[in-house]
Amino acid sequence: MRRKQWILHKDHLLPFLRKLRKSRSLVAPVRNSYGDTMYTEMNDLDNESIELAEQPQNSLKSFFFPQREKLCHYSVDEAVGDSAQAYRFYPSLPESRAVVYFGVRSCDMFAVMYCDTIFLGGRERDVYYDARRRNALFITLACNHPFENCFCNAARTGPYLEMGYDLQFTDLGDRYFVEVDKARGREVVQQWPQFFVPAGDDDRQAHYQAALESRGLFRRQVHVDLAVQLLDQGEEPQALLAELSARCQDCGGCAFICPTCTCFNIVDQPLSDDRGERVRTWDACTFDGFTRMAGNHNSVQIISQRVTKRFYHKLRDDVLRHGRSSCVGCGRCVGMCFGGVDIVRFIDGLCAADDKRSEKREDGHD
Amino acid sequence: MTERSIRTIDSQVMTGRAGRLRLTSKNPYVPRSAIIREITRETDSVSTFVMSFIDELENNSFSYQPGQFMMVSVAHQGEAPISISSSSLQSDFFSLTIRNSGRLTKAMHSLKPGNVIGLRGPYGTAFPLEEMQGRNLLIVGGGIGMAPLRSVVHTCCRQPDHFGKVSVLYGSQNPGELCFQSEMQSWKEAGVDCRLIVDAADNGWQHQVGLVTDLLTDEFRPQKKKDLALVCGPGIMIRFVIQRLEELGYSPENIFTTLERHMKCGFGLCGHCHCREKLVCVDGPVFRRSQLGVLEDL
Repeated sequence: MRRKQWILHKDHLLPFLRKLRKSRSLVAPVRNSYGDTMYTEMNDLDNESIELAEQPQNSLKSFFFPQREKLCHYSVDEAVGDSAQAYRFYPSLPESRAVVYFGVRSCDMFAVMYCDTIFLGGRERDVYYDARRRNALFITLACNHPFENCFCNAARTGPYLEMGYDLQFTDLGDRYFVEVDKARGREVVQQWPQFFVPAGDDDRQAHYQAALESRGLFRRQVHVDLAVQLLDQGEEPQALLAELSARCQDCGGCAFICPTCTCFNIVDQPLSDDRGERVRTWDACTFDGFTRMAGNHNSVQIISQRVTKRFYHKLRDDVLRHGRSSCVGCGRCVGMCFGGVDIVRFIDGLCAADDKRSEKREDGHD
Repeated sequence: MTERSIRTIDSQVMTGRAGRLRLTSKNPYVPRSAIIREITRETDSVSTFVMSFIDELENNSFSYQPGQFMMVSVAHQGEAPISISSSSLQSDFFSLTIRNSGRLTKAMHSLKPGNVIGLRGPYGTAFPLEEMQGRNLLIVGGGIGMAPLRSVVHTCCRQPDHFGKVSVLYGSQNPGELCFQSEMQSWKEAGVDCRLIVDAADNGWQHQVGLVTDLLTDEFRPQKKKDLALVCGPGIMIRFVIQRLEELGYSPENIFTTLERHMKCGFGLCGHCHCREKLVCVDGPVFRRSQLGVLEDL
């Protein structure tokens, strides 16, 4: 049987990452000069320090699906003499670099898997996403201490992953417990066996204990399953949605910070009369223009339904289309939204209304 | 041939969904150049553009079904989804009927024969041609919504033996906004029963006045259980026509409609064209009424 569990001593972490960096770029959570921890491409392992105690403010989304990217450039040549008018497109694919993503949180890894389904699992393969994603190696970090707004336990994406990673690290104090899932992770262990020693029973016991403890440390109780169930049963909380829509300030922050919001816009940006770029940018379904068509017709009532798509998409439509909710429980939208229009507020409101109805029903029986 | 050179050819000539010939390693976002062969002015704001691809290979491999749409690029204006309005039986050319109603369509209307646009597609579901064989068809259109239905009407005109009785009920706000008037005589000659109606008539108007639902009298009850109805127009019109069709006895399985939404990609990624849990670009635009549930948010 192939061994799947190893120990890597913390003293060996930097030397190990240095080895990995010989053939790959390294992205890891780094605290910047403003004191913010972000997943960042590291150019200098000696002077930048990896910050594993904080939740990165960004997710990995922008590494595979940048906020703005050029899809093609185009040229428009007017007809001259016998030659006809020409209007041509020249695609600009990103290079497919080998990158190791280290210290990735379980929710963020899960979000990458969701994005794979969207960009690579549909009728057409998104070649831009594919180019960035193809040579990625993921070393995740199991969460021993969930952060303030986290609810990955309820979203069933963490705090520990059971699949999807190349290597999963669990902090056991002086050492990391290392699990192998995908082939690329196995290759890494095979390539640098000097860093890894087989995990023993004590390590396994410590790992099990850490996982158990972590599950007990969540501060938020978010009933994702109940919300999914209520929406599936046809519940339509119009009043709640209208109230949240009224509070939404149309900033798009929730969609941009969300690791699984993948809606995008495509626009032409002329550079001169005869050439320009076709650009893809992140979009947010809460924006006024998201569904507006020519002639100002809009299938969404912006005032009362602005946030409907966002919550329904995550908790109902993705369950129907892909078999599970696409909220990964990272809690970022909770910290982002200054109007309190985050998904937790919606789930809480939906479930509270259901509680009230149940109480009424019970009263009725009495 | 190196991989790079294959990719270059691929991106310049063969990208996109080339009908039946699906070529590998393609970039679905890259439009192919198409030339405007002819422009027919339908109304003050609507014209039909007859198109073909510049590349001969592209023309040969291009195929589509009535109801499908193309993503149209006009220089510097981005892209918009436009239904194909010609019959799929016609091989060398295809048509797009476009109303001047936004930035891109305005630019489109300033173009002349010989000008070039970019096209991706065809995308989306089609009217069920096979299921339609031998059946009576009731086609109900409103305004520019007649464009995708014209594709069906042309198919019926070319193959009258393949279908049962074909009736077209077409309404618009006023006589000046009725498209395809110049060709309706040929529809009638091919055996299509054409009825017109407008909200507000002018002096020369010889047909009915009212809403298109007013044309849906008992005369149009389904003759057979398998009769089909196809509907396209503004959302509110679709809603009331479907209600009326159901009253007349059409089953939700036998009513088809095609929806319009804002779209950016055309193949299910960009998220703009949602209609409840469905994506209009891949699950539609042609839907069976039974797939749609409530019709309030069409």
